[in-house]
Amino acid sequence: MPPSPRPFLAGLLAGVLLLPSLRPAPLRAQPHAPSRGQVEAIRTIAIDERLAAAAGLTVGDTVRLAPTAGAMGDLVRVAAITRRGADPSEVARNEFKVRLHLDHLQALTGSGDRVGRFAVRSRGDASDEPNAAPDRVAAAINQAAFGFRAYPASAVAVETSSTFRVVNRFHRAIGVITIVASAIFLLCITLLKVDERRRDVGALRLIGCSRATVLRAIVLEATLVALIGSLLGAALGWAASAIVNWYYQGLYQTPLRFTLVTPGIVAFAVVLSLGLGVVSGLLAGRRLVRTAPLELVGR
Amino acid sequence: MIARLALAALTRRRTRTALTIAGVAVAAAMLLDMVMLGSGMRESFRGFIDQQGFQLRLTPRGTMPFDSEATVGGATALVGALRADPDIARVGPVLGGKHFVSVDTGVVAGFLLGIDPTAQGDYRLEAGRDPAAPDEMVVSAAWLAATGRALGDTVRVAGGYDPQLRRATGERTLRLVGRGRFQMLAANDRAAAVPLATAQAMGGAERADRVSVLLVETRDGADAEAVARRIEAGEPRLTALSTEAALKFVDERLGYFRQLAFILASVSLAVGFLLVTTLVTVSVNERIGEIAVMRAIGVARGRIVTQVVLEGVVLSLVGASLGLGLGLVTARWLNGILATFPGLPAAFDFFRFEPGAAFRALGLLVCCGIAAGIWPAWRAATLPIATTLRAEAVA
Repeated sequence: MPPSPRPFLAGLLAGVLLLPSLRPAPLRAQPHAPSRGQVEAIRTIAIDERLAAAAGLTVGDTVRLAPTAGAMGDLVRVAAITRRGADPSEVARNEFKVRLHLDHLQALTGSGDRVGRFAVRSRGDASDEPNAAPDRVAAAINQAAFGFRAYPASAVAVETSSTFRVVNRFHRAIGVITIVASAIFLLCITLLKVDERRRDVGALRLIGCSRATVLRAIVLEATLVALIGSLLGAALGWAASAIVNWYYQGLYQTPLRFTLVTPGIVAFAVVLSLGLGVVSGLLAGRRLVRTAPLELVGR
Repeated sequence: MIARLALAALTRRRTRTALTIAGVAVAAAMLLDMVMLGSGMRESFRGFIDQQGFQLRLTPRGTMPFDSEATVGGATALVGALRADPDIARVGPVLGGKHFVSVDTGVVAGFLLGIDPTAQGDYRLEAGRDPAAPDEMVVSAAWLAATGRALGDTVRVAGGYDPQLRRATGERTLRLVGRGRFQMLAANDRAAAVPLATAQAMGGAERADRVSVLLVETRDGADAEAVARRIEAGEPRLTALSTEAALKFVDERLGYFRQLAFILASVSLAVGFLLVTTLVTVSVNERIGEIAVMRAIGVARGRIVTQVVLEGVVLSLVGASLGLGLGLVTARWLNGILATFPGLPAAFDFFRFEPGAAFRALGLLVCCGIAAGIWPAWRAATLPIATTLRAEAVA
């Protein structure tokens, strides 16, 4: 996408301005053919790609931009089409965005020389702790300036990420339930698999194999099954993650990654599976080796 | 007889049966939770909307109620025109904004709603009465806690704050006449409702004769969708949002949870099916000799199939019954986590028990149990009797 040529003012307002309805049909963002005189004075805007797709706009089109539905507004030219950033807080919001030059939006809405907020970049010392400079600057502004409230970016991030912390806790809870279900499933399968070989184990015991040897063999087998299963599960998880990202990135038109398969997560899954495999093998094996060999062979 | 044989087969290996039932119970609990999650949000939101008693919400064109600070001017004329419509029974204009109250420790800020007390659906009275005079106010319990005031008190309330002059604007002296539960706000939100004219006056010239939302109740027999279309056609500044459109919007916003619910519910069904299939298959494999003997002494194939399928049904039924209780407990736990979403109305449930949907889901799990028993049952019933008996005797 071509970058915007000058700083633009982000405006949610635009969702109302260009879209008089939530429905796509009555969009008023139909391209207009400007007259020669209008071309001279025409201002430029940037629109997001969702709006471009919904209204069928491309760079160079002219549209009428009004502060309220039905008002005359200004004729403007689409100078850029922007792509959404990877901002989780915007994912589920279906609103369209238009960016205008600050003075243009002020004139269009009759806001005078007013702004909604300033973004300030601090100049920190090399010896500063992380966030020390922004905190210091915010405190200085709050102490000195009238009419402003300054927040360091970290405080804003904490506030806006609270929703995602809740979702994260929810996912962890679902994970706990899944682990419990997996543990029961694995124990059940191991028990069935070991039980299936009662006669083999009985024969091994009768020819002189010790209980410990039989138990070790069962545990080793359960561990190998768990290892292979966990590796297959990791591959399946990676594929599922790719599908989930592909689907939701397309659905919400965002570059945000919805699932991440990190080495840490894979290691956790493999270790957990191995642990469960060893424990289930031990439980099933101990139960079997305690049974009399003749009983195991059905005599 | 068949039932007794099926039960005997299941109780022969108690640990294994118990583990399978536990596995099916967890799968059933997960399935139930996901069904509750899938329908809970929608039904919870529908409950909120229906509770208000208004079928339509009219907002500034292209916006959702209170999704932005947009307002519509000429409210008096708009309300008059709407009330003249023969299909409209009630119109409740609402203006949303902020308010500020000075307390000993600083300034308490909160939501301010300008309402028509005779046609409002934003709060339910818990104590006191609706505001009847322009200087009366209903507040939330959180508001009272934050300001340390009580019903009957008189307070100075500002409609705005001028940061340049560091001075309150649009100040009024209001009397607390009621405590209400603001249905669309979180329990800890500080909210206040005053008559519409008072809220407009507190907002200054910018808010004079303006509203954020118009709540519309249609008359019995009137088609709300048709009324919505007519309003939109006649008034280009407004979007008319029906209950169904609002629910569709909620579906879009919370689509992630529904999709997650669908995926996890499908996985739960698959896990339950696999567990029952595995156990019944292994159980049949272990009893091949017995089954061959039963066939040899004249037991019909149908009876063998019925017995094996019955084992799967018993496992699924017992597991689903346990899963019902377990699912309700885990749903409560998960709902407690999601209830901490910032700004979520206190009475909003993500997990709502809808008996019809829940029992249909558990019924589906039992059907999976039946299906899981069919293959091993068919295999058992079609064993070559002589060959099997010989093989088992040698073994």
